[in-house]
Amino acid sequence: MNTEDPSQQLDIPLHVKYIKSLGESKDDLMYHLTAHLRMNAIYWGLTALCIMKHKEALAREEMVEFVMSCWDDEAGAFGAHPDHDAHLLSTLSAIQILTTQDALDRIDIPRVVKFILSLQQPSGVFAGDSFGEIDTRFSYCAVNALSLLGHLHELDVEKTVDYIRRCKNFDGGFGACVGAESHAAQAALAILDKLDEIDHETLAWWLAERQLPNGGLNGRPEKLEDVCYSFWVLSSLSILKKVSWIDPEKLTAFILSAQDPDNGGIADRPGDQPDVFHTHFGVAGK
Amino acid sequence: MERVDERANGGCTRRGRVDARFTRRTAFSQHCHHTISVDNSPKSCVKRVRYTQEALEAKKQREQAKLKEYLILADSVLARRKRKDWSKDALELTTRVLQINPELYTVWNYRRDIFLNGIFPTSEPSQVNDILSNDLSFTMTHLKQHPKVYWIWNHRRWCLEAVPDGPTQDDADGWRISNWNKELFVVEKMLDVDARNFLAWNYRRYVLSSMPVKRPEQTELAYTTRKIEANFSNFSAWHQRSKVLTSLWDQGKLSPEICREKEFDLVKNAMYTDPGDQSVWIYHRWLVGQGKDYAILSREIASVQELLDEQPDSKWCMESLVFYKQLTLQNHTSRLNDAQRQQIIQSCLVLLAVLQDIDPMRKQRYKDLTEGINRFQTNA
Repeated sequence: MNTEDPSQQLDIPLHVKYIKSLGESKDDLMYHLTAHLRMNAIYWGLTALCIMKHKEALAREEMVEFVMSCWDDEAGAFGAHPDHDAHLLSTLSAIQILTTQDALDRIDIPRVVKFILSLQQPSGVFAGDSFGEIDTRFSYCAVNALSLLGHLHELDVEKTVDYIRRCKNFDGGFGACVGAESHAAQAALAILDKLDEIDHETLAWWLAERQLPNGGLNGRPEKLEDVCYSFWVLSSLSILKKVSWIDPEKLTAFILSAQDPDNGGIADRPGDQPDVFHTHFGVAGK
Repeated sequence: MERVDERANGGCTRRGRVDARFTRRTAFSQHCHHTISVDNSPKSCVKRVRYTQEALEAKKQREQAKLKEYLILADSVLARRKRKDWSKDALELTTRVLQINPELYTVWNYRRDIFLNGIFPTSEPSQVNDILSNDLSFTMTHLKQHPKVYWIWNHRRWCLEAVPDGPTQDDADGWRISNWNKELFVVEKMLDVDARNFLAWNYRRYVLSSMPVKRPEQTELAYTTRKIEANFSNFSAWHQRSKVLTSLWDQGKLSPEICREKEFDLVKNAMYTDPGDQSVWIYHRWLVGQGKDYAILSREIASVQELLDEQPDSKWCMESLVFYKQLTLQNHTSRLNDAQRQQIIQSCLVLLAVLQDIDPMRKQRYKDLTEGINRFQTNA
């Protein structure tokens, strides 16, 4: 890798500036059209900053207050934005932010635990909210959130794992629900200490074949690369201790080439519009 | 991508074995999606544009009016929701706000609460059925614009599941049958537009397993054949096929032995058309399975070897050969004499050395596999 070429280095000051600017675009239509993702976006931004060692770039108090303003007292969990319904996705992000900011004492932990556990279905999978959309992504959210709250022991682990086990496919990967195609963004077994459920060799093979000639990773066979899979695929390979099965230098070069050299931020692939989701997974993947 | 063009230019003729029905259309343009699917933003697959300061100002000005209207609308919907307003006016407002932003899951929830608490209790079953049918049509326009927004698919599920008994007591499933049949048609349209949309495939499986009058699974098998023939690069269709076949075998409706032979034929056709396509090789690996059947395993090794002889630089031929030969060493060692075992081991080592060379990104994996093969040597 040519370290002289500026496009081949992670431009930390520019990305920090980009993330800071996101909260200041309140006269922007897109800012408001994405209110349903606000909580997740703050988590992505904060974590990206932490990885770049600039956690202080966003004000702690203001952030914690925002998270608390998204509390849905009827459900006993967090929505994505004030006055939005509680959902498992935003609840996990809220817990992650509060953990990072060392502010978990602000919440009624037993109530949140109760909310999360109430979403487990008889089959073992979790729903995202009371309306019942099911997906192993939500199993992951539940497991991760309960683990951060220190209440994993209240979970019926066997039932949870049993459902995930039924989502396993012959290619070694896991789908979103029973019968679904393997997708790179599904993983929860590590936190539950159940990695023995995985066919390591087959899954690592499938994951390693996600790398394309330009160095980027895709999420399913014969699809385009995307920076966010750098995180999903790489973290799974890392859990399986098989990162060496792909070429990290080519991946790094690919992620760096997706940076926006003018305004900061990282896009899904070179030349595209950057956003906080891909900036997070880009710096995390790197 | 270059590889694809090469094949399309005639790299794929072979003793008339290649079936003309196979084409390989890359569905790469259809990629946009995330774990949390977001069509409004983060805008995936949107080209970065450099605006001048003036252009940026002008854009902002144009947006301001739209923004103001949207904020008033969204705020008033959320305020009504807070005071549990279940009126038709409120329903109308949710329609308007969702047309602008279908990602507002809270408003979809509110819409359903209005139906359940405000509208259905005072409606006849036939009216409820009409309302739900209308909502299915209403969300169809959303779906076409935002095929990867989870909340829209979820709302359709809810509508279908809420269809009441009717039109008559004797025909209690009538409305349901009609709505669910339409739904299968809708999901087929969506898969015509993007054959890899995993939300649509998941939804398809849901519809097939929930519709009041189930279709025979053979029909679904035929559907995957059509999808694969249209584009054999479509791994989603191969995946579905593996699920349908397993189910038909488990129920004893098809014979695994006879089926498997037909499947080997199908996959071989695709393999010869483009030996570089992953989908096909992954499916082939499923067909071979654990490799317990020595005759099939040997035959497939020979067949892949034949293809490799014609395409000497095919990574997938080599990778698969190593995998299948390894299965032979694992499962059928008692059938082999020392010379045969040595021959297999040596050929694997040669293939793995070539693979390290032609596929350097995964070099370490091939090194690890080499170590594994060497262990057979010491064990023997």
